Order: sequence, then C-alpha cells, then structure tokens
Amino acid sequence: MSRSQKGSDVQNIAPLGPYITLLLLIGLAAGIGMIPIKKLIQIQEAKHELKHGSAGFFRTMSGWIIIAIWVAATWFFATIIGDWWAFGDLDRAIVRSLRRLEILLHILAALADD
Amino acid sequence: MTDTLKIAQADLLCTNCAGQCAYDPQTGTLSCQSCGTAHEIAHDPNLNPAQEQHYHPDMPHTEQPKFSTDRHFQCETCGGDVVFQGHSIAARCAYCNGVLVEQAANESYAILGMIPFQVDAKDALKYARSWIARRWAAPSDLTATVAGCDVTGIYVPFWTFDSEEAVTYMVTYETKSGDRTVTRTQLGTMDTFFDDMLMPASPHVTPLIRDGILHEFNPSHLRPYEPAYLAGFAAERHHQTVREGLQHNESDKALLLRNRIKQHSGKSGIVDVSYKTDTTGIRYRRILLPVWILHYEYAGKPMKVVTCGLRGRTFGERPFSTPKLFAIAALISSGVIAFGFTWGALNIY
Repeated sequence: MSRSQKGSDVQNIAPLGPYITLLLLIGLAAGIGMIPIKKLIQIQEAKHELKHGSAGFFRTMSGWIIIAIWVAATWFFATIIGDWWAFGDLDRAIVRSLRRLEILLHILAALADD
Repeated sequence: MTDTLKIAQADLLCTNCAGQCAYDPQTGTLSCQSCGTAHEIAHDPNLNPAQEQHYHPDMPHTEQPKFSTDRHFQCETCGGDVVFQGHSIAARCAYCNGVLVEQAANESYAILGMIPFQVDAKDALKYARSWIARRWAAPSDLTATVAGCDVTGIYVPFWTFDSEEAVTYMVTYETKSGDRTVTRTQLGTMDTFFDDMLMPASPHVTPLIRDGILHEFNPSHLRPYEPAYLAGFAAERHHQTVREGLQHNESDKALLLRNRIKQHSGKSGIVDVSYKTDTTGIRYRRILLPVWILHYEYAGKPMKVVTCGLRGRTFGERPFSTPKLFAIAALISSGVIAFGFTWGALNIY
C-alpha cells in the first residue's frame, strides 16, 4: 500500500471519529449510569414512601450528587464531540471545552453545598 | 435447658365450644375459629400503657437478666411439647395447632404496652404485592416470585425514647470572599428534644423499614400487654437492656442532631459539624407493634416486604434488574448526549 493510499484511508475514516466516539460515550454513560439510576429510583421511593425528616429519609437522600455528576460528565463529553463534529478539530474542541468545565465545576460545587 | 413458663392457653380457648381462638383485627375481639363466637378482650383500666419510664444512665439499673435459652412447654390441650425458640413469646402447638402465648410475668424485660393488629392478613398481602408490583426497574419475574409467598403476622418489639438535649456545636462552612473560597467556623448552642423516637429492637424491622411503615405513632393507642391480642400471631419479646436500646438509637439521634444543628446555624456550604450534647430526661417505653412480613428469596438472596399492622403502610427490600437499569440509563444518557452534542456543535460556552 502506497503512502498516498494510506493518507486517503485516514481521511475517509476521520469524519467517522465523532460518531464512533458518540456511540462509545452512550455505551459508557449507560454502563456507569446504572449506579446513579439505582440511586435516583431509591430517592424517588424515599420521597414518596419514607417519613420525611426521619433518619432513613436523610440516609437515602444523601449521595444524590452522584446523579448530578453523571449527568454533568456525560453532557460535558458530548459537548466536546459536538464541537469536534461541527468544526473537525478535536484539539481545539478540547481547549474550548475547558471554559465549560470551569463553569460546570462551579455549578456542581454550588449543588453540593445545598 | 428448660425454663419454667407461665403460659396463657386455656384462657385463649372458646368458652362456648372449647375451640381455639385467635385475635381478629377486623373486630378487635378474640374470635373462635370453630364456632365463630367473638369474645371481648378485657384489660385492667387502671393500667396506663402510654406511661413512660425514666432512665438515669448513672444509676445502677435493676433489670432482670435476659433469657438465653429455648423454653419448653407442655401443651394443655394435647400434651405435645412446644418450644419457644429464642426471643419468641407466642407459638402454635405443632400437634394440635393450639395457640400458646407467654404471660407477662415470664418477661425478663416487661412489655409496657402494645398496639393490636388493625389490618388483617388478606389486606396485608394485597398491600405487599401491590408494593412489589409498583417497583421501578424491578426484575420482570419478581411479581411471579412473590405471588407464591404469604404474609406472617408478628408483634415486633420497639422502643420509644424521649430525651432533652443541650447541644454545644461548631460548624465549619465555606464562603466566598471575592474570588476566593474561605473556610470559617461558627460556634453555637441549642436546646432541643426528641419525643417518642421509635427504635426497632428486632432484626425483623430495620430502621429504614421503620421509616417506611411507621409515619405516625400515637401513644394513646397503646394498650396493656394482653395475651389475647397475640393469639394467632407470632411475637418477639424485648431482649435488650435500656442501655443497649439507647446505643442502637445513637446513630439515628446523631444524624437528626446534625441536621438540626445545620438548620440552627443558618449557614450554607457546611462541610463539617462537631458537637457535644448533654442528654437529660431520658424516658422510654418497651412496646410491641404489629407488622405483617412477606419473606421471599430472589437470586438466592433473602428479602422481605413489611406491612404495618396499624394502617397498612408498606416498605421493604427489593432487587433491581440490571438490563432495565442499563436501558433507563441508556435512554437518559442519549437525551443528555443529544443536548450536549448540540450545545458543542453550536459552540456555546
């Protein structure tokens, strides 16, 4: 295989990068998401069935932040892939995402305080 | 090893036909299972089961030692040997199905009051199955698994604890100062009290299940311990000293105190709470409360659903279906990813 042929193959596959990464992200987010979803269901059950203000209620409600972290992390990585897909430059997409990351961390810190 | 027992058995036979009687939650009477005669249950009107007992941690307690053996009894009806295992105080004779309930005098730790069953087995089973059917992300075969199970009525030992707390606390919290986050502390004092904190004294009911089934507890509904209320049900006696009961209650009390301190301090961003409390005015009751328990096993793991025998509130243990959790997570992830992807594609900060 000549060098020019190899280069054209890479160029043909490159546009698929965001799509493949997107599928991987869905699989990974769903796999990791089983734990926050379980917590979400337990919280939902606690809100409807446990006595509000009881020790069991507080214990079940604690740890809800993992749901917020899971959603925020999934959203954050999806924004990078979206940026990459739209502008075709992964490195710049990552650089641009850093500002979003900073805002996101501030939001999560504020949520954790509550 | 055998302990001498004083058993209420003849008292629980029908005066009309000498048949076996059982407590009927629907009518609140002792109902004959042969002729259907309903017998009123009388108790001493001078007894006040809602009265609380004082406990002074510094004074030597005079409680009797606990039972540590199984106790045998010869059935008065058929002569069969009946074993009261562990902490059980009510049983049925394996030979004649006769009801046997221990008299209050046998209690090493006296039961100070009890609330009889108000929900019958049929309704309890309906509530338990309905609770299982309403679980999100439960395995598809869970309803079928539970369909073959039945409920068991049991009087479970509980404590009620009162206490007054004089709390001195220090909260550590984070606050913004310009662009910096600074950590500050605040000292404070607070007087608070706990009234009728319910603590299960049995492994049948965990603190989490208690909070699911006992939303309201009214001491005025307590009645004196009366074997007739236990006829036809299983029952467990109190086997903890007050000190042990208070120790079991400690983690719940600490959690609630921390929450009260957070509210009292009025601060947000609290990262740590430390406190000292001077506890006085400890009062307690040893009581029995009625529950229906549905035991089942899923994937080799024993689980239970508990229905309160007072109002029918139900809570319990349940398994999760991994494929269903994955499917829900995939669905929500897809939505979040679509939103994030669009956000990134539009290059919004």
